Amino acid sequence: MPTLDIQNLQVAIGDKPIVKGLSLTIRSGEVHAIMGPNGTGKSTLAKAIAGHPDYTITGGDVLLDGKSILEMEADERARSGLFLAFQYPSEIPGVTIANFLRAALQARLGEGEEIDATAYYKRLYGKMDMLTIDRKFTSRAVNEGFSGGEKKRCEILQMAMLEPKFALMDETDSGLDIDALRIVSEGVNALRGPGLGVLLITHYQRLLNYIVPDFVHVMYDGRIVKSGDKSLALELEAKGYDWVKKAV
Amino acid sequence: MKPPSETAADDTAVENPVVGIDQSKGDFKYDVKYDFDAGTGLNENTVRYISSVKKEADWLLEFRLNALKKFHSMPMPTHWATKDLENINFDKIRYYLAQGQKPKRTWEEVPDDIKQTFERLGIPEQERKFLAGVEAQFDSEAAYSNIKEIVAKQGVIFVNSTEGLREHPELFKKFFGKVIPTGDNKFAALNSAVFSGGSFIYVPKGVKVAQPLQAYFRINAENFGQFERTLIIADEGAEVVYMEGCTAPKFSTATLHSAVVELVALKGAKIQYITVQNWANNVFNLVTKRGVAHEDAEIKWIDCNIGSRLTMKYPGVVLKGERARGEVISIALANDGQHQDTGAKMIHAANNTTSNIVAKSISVGQGRSTYRGIVHIPKSLKGCKNNTECDALLINTNSRTDTYPAIAIRGDRNATQHEASVSKVSEDMIFYMQQRGLTEGQAMSLAVNGFINDLARQFPMEYSVELKRLIDLEMEGSVG
Amino acid sequence: MSKVSTASPSQIGRFTSEAFAVHLAEQKSAPAWWLERKRAAYAQFAALPMPRRTDEAWRFSNIGTLSLDGAVLAAKAGPVAPVAGFTPTLSFANNQLVSAHVPPALAAQGVIVTTLAEAAAKHADLLKAHFMAQPQKLGSAKFAALHSAFVGDGAFVHIPKSVELADPVVIQHAASGDQAAVFPHTLVVAEENARATVVDLLVSAAGGRHLAVGANDLYAGHGAQLTYIGAQNWSRDTLAFQLNSIVVRRDARAQSLNLHLGARQARHESLSQLQAPGAFSEMLALTVADGTQEFDQRTLQIHQAPNTKSDLLYKNALLAKARTIFSGLIVVDPDAQKTDAYQSNRNLMLSDDAEANSLPGLEIQANDVRCTHGATSSRIDPEQEFYLQSRGIHREAADELITFGFFEEVLNRLASDPIHEALRDLIRSKFQK
Repeated sequence: MPTLDIQNLQVAIGDKPIVKGLSLTIRSGEVHAIMGPNGTGKSTLAKAIAGHPDYTITGGDVLLDGKSILEMEADERARSGLFLAFQYPSEIPGVTIANFLRAALQARLGEGEEIDATAYYKRLYGKMDMLTIDRKFTSRAVNEGFSGGEKKRCEILQMAMLEPKFALMDETDSGLDIDALRIVSEGVNALRGPGLGVLLITHYQRLLNYIVPDFVHVMYDGRIVKSGDKSLALELEAKGYDWVKKAV
Repeated sequence: MKPPSETAADDTAVENPVVGIDQSKGDFKYDVKYDFDAGTGLNENTVRYISSVKKEADWLLEFRLNALKKFHSMPMPTHWATKDLENINFDKIRYYLAQGQKPKRTWEEVPDDIKQTFERLGIPEQERKFLAGVEAQFDSEAAYSNIKEIVAKQGVIFVNSTEGLREHPELFKKFFGKVIPTGDNKFAALNSAVFSGGSFIYVPKGVKVAQPLQAYFRINAENFGQFERTLIIADEGAEVVYMEGCTAPKFSTATLHSAVVELVALKGAKIQYITVQNWANNVFNLVTKRGVAHEDAEIKWIDCNIGSRLTMKYPGVVLKGERARGEVISIALANDGQHQDTGAKMIHAANNTTSNIVAKSISVGQGRSTYRGIVHIPKSLKGCKNNTECDALLINTNSRTDTYPAIAIRGDRNATQHEASVSKVSEDMIFYMQQRGLTEGQAMSLAVNGFINDLARQFPMEYSVELKRLIDLEMEGSVG
Repeated sequence: MSKVSTASPSQIGRFTSEAFAVHLAEQKSAPAWWLERKRAAYAQFAALPMPRRTDEAWRFSNIGTLSLDGAVLAAKAGPVAPVAGFTPTLSFANNQLVSAHVPPALAAQGVIVTTLAEAAAKHADLLKAHFMAQPQKLGSAKFAALHSAFVGDGAFVHIPKSVELADPVVIQHAASGDQAAVFPHTLVVAEENARATVVDLLVSAAGGRHLAVGANDLYAGHGAQLTYIGAQNWSRDTLAFQLNSIVVRRDARAQSLNLHLGARQARHESLSQLQAPGAFSEMLALTVADGTQEFDQRTLQIHQAPNTKSDLLYKNALLAKARTIFSGLIVVDPDAQKTDAYQSNRNLMLSDDAEANSLPGLEIQANDVRCTHGATSSRIDPEQEFYLQSRGIHREAADELITFGFFEEVLNRLASDPIHEALRDLIRSKFQK
């Protein structure tokens, strides 16, 4: 069974340690939620696993199906089955969503293989309909001029099209109103299944009403300080993060 | 004491809240007897006269004569600058006027005929309140120069350039003319030939001067040219804030002010140089200002130009050491008959250097404001960044603004960004304020102050209060 | 009269008064007024100095490599293959018409698509009113005069009142042979409420050193909508000047897009005059600068009437040791209240040896205006690069996507998909070399 194994991971930005020894194993089919106060290293964890060049791994390892991914470039990690849904997705002027996703799928094919255009569009439109994204969006530049909700839906669309083994979802609920949150969550829930492991990163318990996690972890000061099932999120909501800080 | 030969008597001048940079308050003149006068016009003898009365070393006379040659050989830069420069008649200007050679250390010693000018401008009062030191220049020489004992004890040198040359020749010579070479431009050459006065400041290693040092430049005589020369050296880790204000009475003939200011910020040093210029609108104000920032050093020019007929001034920073920072904050207000041609130069010469330029101008009536800038990031550097913002506000239908930046960048490891906009005060905004009971003029003043508010806040409090008052004055009668 | 020229060879190259006399003698069917104009232009050319380092209009330009030396008026040449994706209506090679395919439908609509020579004979009034009739304000008065003196043949397009063209009129100007000097010219008059798209293709038949001094006159009458596309792909040994003038009348809309790919050193000047209320000029340019190429672009947006609009977007992608210069000026005349003017220069630095110079300028003499400009120079945004990579796209492919995305922002402004695609293919061909 595919696993994403984070082993005593330590991450720094410049000289400053942010993630200070974090271990977590996610198996295919599981949904893990990481909660924690702002500035505790949640987003750093997600970006470091995805291979952002600004983050330095100073210790530990990340294994995908038993193989370390730390020596891989970001694109190689992605093709190995990792997907990062960004908290703040980049705008890519002049590159349409259709061309972008096509290039991403093409990159996963071998030399000489070509994407079948008809099948591609059929699939793309199907996923867009599911996420209630207007089909006109295919000819719009990636994320450019999108509202917060549109950006997040576009992230889920990409996830649906690229079919990763593991998805890291960084504050996917931030900036969403109730309707957008519901659509995005339904999208994620539709993708849930035995072939996908999810790491949800969130500040608020709200998202977990929509995407019910199997495990909840509380992160504080670069480490996981508490783990449990979904009831932990409710407890946290009731008691606040100060409860965790005191417990540390 | 002689009765003042006033052009505009105004008793409220003494109530001026801060250093006399209000031109309407500065528009008065007392008769003064000059013991030293280089006469009218410019030739080798003028230069020799200045050098001899200052009892200068031979090398300096050579330096001056060489500069004079350069001045004569260089053309007026009218291929890019305004043709108004051609209206300067160098033969009708007096290049050196002084009552004495040595500045006084107490106001009591300053002769009455000069002292009354500075009292009326409020300088001695300011000094007591919030300054670490003051130099007051009257025409060609400083009449008064003093720093507080506590600052002097830290080893800070704050004298005028004549004294600096005499008492600290080694230090002076080491940096003098190195940041701005004689031939940098025609007016730098002119200054190098006939300079007199200005400040010489040295702040020793690690010394942080808590209060600002202040210089005040006053032109009193008609047909006169003031050519002060300022050199500020902040040694490693030192910090200093220097402020200058300038006024002159309004004459019917043109007056020339052409200064050269050189700053050297050694490793980790910080220099902040604040100017509030409010010359009378017969003054040609043609000033060259540049600093060199070494490793981790920071030079910040805060430059406010309100008066003068024509100001041409583009403070610059040469970012010579890694991680050096340069900044120019510029406010210009051009009213009828005025042209504020100001801007900034940022020369990146080391990796990871950053520069920032924010320029805001206001053109009132037929006033014209111009921004000119140079940002240069040569090949082989990396991690350099420049950000430039220029905003122009046009008050009346016939007001004018120009923007002429030049940005040259090489390589893919540096980044520049330039933005400029031109706008007028929104009618809706004015209407909104009028509905609340303000007159149109008051509303306009508020709007203009709002336009520069983010920059005005960077001035010391006393200056920003004064600035606001000056803008209110300038905006009077601009509408309706 | 300029039978005797006192200009030194470095000022006129081989465009001597003798060479000019030979050229005049060849204009057998030209009317007298046309010859007189040529003579006046030659005198001006010979009298004007070459650009000097201190000329503000040539600031940052490499003056040392501007020499006219060597080039001679091109000899007659055969037809040159059209640029892929385009079907030329008129095709010129070395200043002479080599093929014409004017669709009968055009003639039926009263549209004139012909040569300058024929226009001089049949439409003298139009030619007199529009040929090189606008001021040379951007520094190349000498080269404009050279062009007027030696211009052989060129395209003349006249769209009558309220006529709308379904298809673009495509003009190809080719240069062929080493040291060939060509003087391509395209003149387009769109009368009141006319609508048309005109494409100028500037190409070399093969390699070789060329001197290309081209010009175009574009006129959009009241309510007209004129789109002009210029695609420059001269040989890499060409010294090129292209002088572009657009006059926009009341409620008219002019759109111009200039694509710069070829030449060793290319100077492009574009003047837009917004002469009456409601006029709108959109000025677009895309440059791919590679090797040691220098692209020197100078623009002027003059708002001469109230309620006029201009929007300029010039994008440069710089590779290898290439240099670009963008110098743009927005001028708002004292009476041109309610002007809306925009000017933007974006430089994408794709090499550590490339050099981008930006001089975005404003001269504003009216207060009720909206004028902004911006200039940026930077490499590909690493965050964008990471975003694409995080989707599994290889870095090289990601950079290419982002670079083409950078171009698409300009190409997307075109209404015509076939032209959009043809230009994109042309750009791609430069990247594939």
